[in-house]
Amino acid sequence: MKTMNTDPAWLKRMADLEDGSFVSVGGWVTALEEAEAPARMFQPTRSAFSRLVQLARRERNMTVELLAEESGIRLADLLRIEQDEHYTPTPRVVYRVAQCFSLPETELMALAGLLEVSDNEFSDAALKFAARSAPVQELTREEHAALQEFVRYLTHREKQVS
Amino acid sequence: MRIDTEIIDNHTGEPVPATLHDEVTIAHFLETQKEWRPVVVGAAKKLHHAGAGQQIPQHWHWDWNRKAPELGLLPIRFLAVECEDRLQGLMKVDLVSHRCRISGQRGQELVYIDYVEVAPWNIKTFTEALGLQPRFSGVGTRLVEAAVRLSQDEGFKGRVGLHSLPASERFYLSGCSMKGVERNLNKQGLLWCEFTPEQAERFLRGEMR
Repeated sequence: MKTMNTDPAWLKRMADLEDGSFVSVGGWVTALEEAEAPARMFQPTRSAFSRLVQLARRERNMTVELLAEESGIRLADLLRIEQDEHYTPTPRVVYRVAQCFSLPETELMALAGLLEVSDNEFSDAALKFAARSAPVQELTREEHAALQEFVRYLTHREKQVS
Repeated sequence: MRIDTEIIDNHTGEPVPATLHDEVTIAHFLETQKEWRPVVVGAAKKLHHAGAGQQIPQHWHWDWNRKAPELGLLPIRFLAVECEDRLQGLMKVDLVSHRCRISGQRGQELVYIDYVEVAPWNIKTFTEALGLQPRFSGVGTRLVEAAVRLSQDEGFKGRVGLHSLPASERFYLSGCSMKGVERNLNKQGLLWCEFTPEQAERFLRGEMR
């Protein structure tokens, strides 16, 4: 960079447009906020991960205990996955969940917050799923449809990415 | 790097000499925030009293010194506009972490504006709360111009991206004519704004839509 615009008319026009406004951006500031308070942030993908595990388990009429037995995941880890949306499971646990429910591993890692998600479509789909799948005792037809649709989306996305 | 430039002195409405440089360290940055703080606090008290405190983005209330240990570990460089021996604006850019999102140039390299602020005595919200007019104008414009020129120097053809805070959207969309591409759920719903090479060139020539 050697020179800047030297046209005073340009500067005056641009200064008028700027009009003493804020020019603040969110990159560094939000990164610092998130680093300080990760537990307070609502993460739509993490919320969807909790719901996905709950619904997939209930669809198979499994208790958390039975799932723990069959998957080899500690009961405490499963409970935290389903009930604590700020808990980040280890990659090994997520891998076992993926194996148990035949779900795409990479997409599940992203949902669990272990991989950064850069596209809004993925976050939007996760947010919609989390919103549509409020917990009830048994799966309704809508929950079943939401679960199937989201699993289809994850599987489709995995194929597209790979 | 030190480049002579100009900003507008609002007392006269005319350009005055300023300098764009990259000689700001974290220590200097923290000193600057300390210098800005009394203006922000004074204005914020008046705005809160008038029920208009929400006009100020939250991070303007930060005590940056509390973040010093974290910041000291990072290899950070700033670009700054200086006038009358004071920093009038600061910008931090990142050439690696983000890529273009506009269809047609998706995935291309760009200069990401990670942090940019104009001194509070140049921002209307603060000065009007204190019964004053902004001291200088065009500081934010100069910093955006610097980002575009840096992008050109790096071979990114003027491509620049940023996550605008709501209070700044008018400046980036209407003032600079950047394209508002999408709201990022992973960045608190902030608007991703981007320059294509053509838009960047029009910005530099003052030929916005």
